[in-house]
Amino acid sequence: MAKIASPRPTGFLALLSVATLLVLAALYCVAFVARPDVTLGIVQKIFYFHVSSAIAMMLCLSCGSMLSLIDLFAPSDRIDALAHSAIETGLAFALMVLTSGPLWARKSWGAWWTWEPRLTLTLMLLLLAAAVLGIRSMAADGTGRKIAAALASLAAPVAYLIHVAVEKWGGTHPMVLKGGGIQSPGMQLTFRVAMLAILLFAATLWTLRFRVLRLEQRLHALRLELSAQDVRKQRPGAPT
Amino acid sequence: MLLRLTWLLLQKDLRVAARSREVFGFMLLFALLCVVVFAFGFLREGEAAAAQVPGVLWVTLLFSGTVGLLRLFAAEEEGGTLVLAERTLAGATPLLLSKALMQLLFSGVTTLLLLPVVLVFFDASLAQPVLVLAALALGLVGQAMLGALVAALLVHVRLREVLLPLVLYPLLAPLVIAGVRITVLTQAGAPAEALEGWLALMLGFDALVLVTAPWLHARVVEL
Repeated sequence: MAKIASPRPTGFLALLSVATLLVLAALYCVAFVARPDVTLGIVQKIFYFHVSSAIAMMLCLSCGSMLSLIDLFAPSDRIDALAHSAIETGLAFALMVLTSGPLWARKSWGAWWTWEPRLTLTLMLLLLAAAVLGIRSMAADGTGRKIAAALASLAAPVAYLIHVAVEKWGGTHPMVLKGGGIQSPGMQLTFRVAMLAILLFAATLWTLRFRVLRLEQRLHALRLELSAQDVRKQRPGAPT
Repeated sequence: MLLRLTWLLLQKDLRVAARSREVFGFMLLFALLCVVVFAFGFLREGEAAAAQVPGVLWVTLLFSGTVGLLRLFAAEEEGGTLVLAERTLAGATPLLLSKALMQLLFSGVTTLLLLPVVLVFFDASLAQPVLVLAALALGLVGQAMLGALVAALLVHVRLREVLLPLVLYPLLAPLVIAGVRITVLTQAGAPAEALEGWLALMLGFDALVLVTAPWLHARVVEL
């Protein structure tokens, strides 16, 4: 049988430790290195986790969609597990973005929610990812996987069109990075550390879910083999 | 071969629909009911009812389309002929295309009957009927094709009555946003140039769906 997941997850434990240390370092930087924003005050500090989570979400969901497309072309258990875990991780970060976003929006725009392009797009991505995962869990093993892969690969171009539509619809979003809004070195350092920490955290979650899914696949294969052996025992004449 | 098989399957569906008439009738009734419920929900004293027309029209079509889509593959499923219809000489595409055309026919007729009702109920008139009808046509084509794909994929899935709208509505978001904007802009008397971008967006969506849906369907069904 092919090696599915190594019994001693040394690489994973290393990733987990580095990600944990970086998240702690990011928290320290956010609290003590970066100064509160002049106009927005302390709420601006959400920015460090909000923006990096949004980037992690986009990366995970685009990877999930692309891997789903590959799985449709050349079905493989490995790619399927990678795609599925990517979408799950993307969904987790979408939740993170949609929790931290309104907290910031309340302070800077005066409202918890506005139908502003990027908010709308993030919400739609969350709904799409949830629907894909929901279908996968409702359908029987083989079909659910294919249906979810088909819908996930269609979701990426549709998400682009949603992006075009909501941009055309109009709105305002703080363009902190393009406008050069963070100039103090402390803020820049904090942003870089937080970015790295969140991306490694996403990679850790993704790897964790991937390993669990691979183990589930292996368990499933072992069960099938076991039941096949039982059938052979009951019919001694059958070829082994 | 593809077109001939599609036409044969469509003829079969048309004959079944003409004999039973149930799905289409319920779809129309449901659409009418939606309009009434929206009137309860959105009309305010002292505000022009006509302002609600774009939203009511497009959301009603989105909802009532679902009624048809959920029953699209009912005959094949109940008769146990789904596998046969998926394995024609031209693959599974004729089945998908015939179902999409069937849905387009149902939703198209529903729209034509519904539009005057909405205009009367909400005391409105269409400023640029050609543009609005074009947007409706583009919207219904996209909904029919994508809806037929999702319905086909979900045929054997548990809870598909719940899952179909859950998947379909977010995927149709670009069409609904564009359709409502176009209707709003025509009501406000915007020049035709202002609508071009939205119409192009709908056209792009339809092109994407028309090209990818048969391919995705084949990948899932024929493997």
